[in-house]
Amino acid sequence: MVKAIPSSAQSSKSVSKFPAVGAARTTLAGLAIGLVVLTAAASTSSAQTFSRAFAVSPERSELEVVNQAGTIKVKAGANPTKIVINARQSDGAAKIDATQNSLGKVKVEVTGQGKVDFEIDVPASSSIDLLSYQGAIVVTNLAGAVRARVTDGDIQIDGLRSPKVEARCTQGNVSFSGEVLPSGSYTLKSFSGRVDAILPADADFKLSASSFRGGMDLGEFQMKFDKRSYQLVEASYGAGRASISLWTQEGSIHLHRKP
Amino acid sequence: MECRAVVSSLSDYLDGRNIWVSDDEVEQIETHLTNCPACRNLKLEFSEIKNAARELPLHTPSPALWARISKAVESEISIESGPIRRTQNASGWWGWLNSRKFTFSLPQLAAGGALAVILIFAGISGIFGAHSGPLNLKGAQSSMLLPEEDEIKADLERRLGAVNARKAQWDSQRRADFEHHMNKIDESLKRCRYMLEDNPNDSGRQEMVRALYDEKRQLLEDVERLKW
Repeated sequence: MVKAIPSSAQSSKSVSKFPAVGAARTTLAGLAIGLVVLTAAASTSSAQTFSRAFAVSPERSELEVVNQAGTIKVKAGANPTKIVINARQSDGAAKIDATQNSLGKVKVEVTGQGKVDFEIDVPASSSIDLLSYQGAIVVTNLAGAVRARVTDGDIQIDGLRSPKVEARCTQGNVSFSGEVLPSGSYTLKSFSGRVDAILPADADFKLSASSFRGGMDLGEFQMKFDKRSYQLVEASYGAGRASISLWTQEGSIHLHRKP
Repeated sequence: MECRAVVSSLSDYLDGRNIWVSDDEVEQIETHLTNCPACRNLKLEFSEIKNAARELPLHTPSPALWARISKAVESEISIESGPIRRTQNASGWWGWLNSRKFTFSLPQLAAGGALAVILIFAGISGIFGAHSGPLNLKGAQSSMLLPEEDEIKADLERRLGAVNARKAQWDSQRRADFEHHMNKIDESLKRCRYMLEDNPNDSGRQEMVRALYDEKRQLLEDVERLKW
């Protein structure tokens, strides 16, 4: 019994026997813990997240996002009565405000500098108005009016069943894929990028397309041309009910028929 | 891209002849011009020649001069008929020209010289006929090419004033980005305006100019909405 020494005592004995080694171990352990804490803190401050949800009417839901830099992705969410906003901020300089007015319109605005990436779920019928100075905009599976504007970045619109689309960028590509509703209006513009529109084979539209430098590829639709030159085309397909306007100054225009 | 290649494409580039200069070439030329002061100067000189040619008054030669030229041509045709013509064909035009004796009076020489100058400048005007390119807009912008142009310009000025008032608070990168985009739109606008000046009733070109004004307005509107 007397010889049975508890391990802690043994340990304390060994510490007392080699005081320098013990001190070093304690210091290293402290440093390691400190490093873990500091890393976690740094990680928190360099990438902050932001989440908000707003109750909206499924019949009349509106969203406006004004971002400085970063991606904005908006898609039709599973919940038809909620707008759910998730954002990730690369640095702490930008401030995100999300508010809802008395009519139910949700406005998200970023002030200050810094990159913020948004992922937003909205009811499919929502009208959205998105603006970013720098960064891509991606809109998926919506049926409401879409307005998207980027100065420096691409715009990609997929799976739309919307009556009104206006997508414009100064420097970047614009692509649209979706249905063309009979009285719909679709405007896709890019100053220096490429414009792509993928339309169903049974689409019925009047087309105005203009490309100053890059040329046009409209080959997949057999259209009736009112005007046709290297830089400008005015034509119709079917009865010409919807209105499609494609414009680029320096890029090219491509019209594709959905297989 | 080398200087030689840039020089050979510079005229087409200034004319905006996109059939002859591809997008890639335009990009390469612009990159080269940014880095090469010699080619930049050359581009400036080309632009100035083009502007000068545009501003030259048109001269119509006097009826008397045309009458003399016409008479001379007719008399030459009558001489050429018959066996003499065969001889001329055998020795070639150069030989025929050498065999001729041309005598002109001093007023005739002066009139001929003036005609030559007019033809040279007319040729230069023809070469730079598209009137496109990032040129000095003095004169070109003073005329109104669209019925609503004054209104558009006033709106743009107002928006630009509002943006400029805030610009001092931006960092240098943002200022440079914004100015880069504005300059690119302005250059295209100048090019398209020159093209429209050549054919003011061309509705397609009118729409191109409108689209560029609209792009400029949109950029200013966006920057007004962004809280930098």
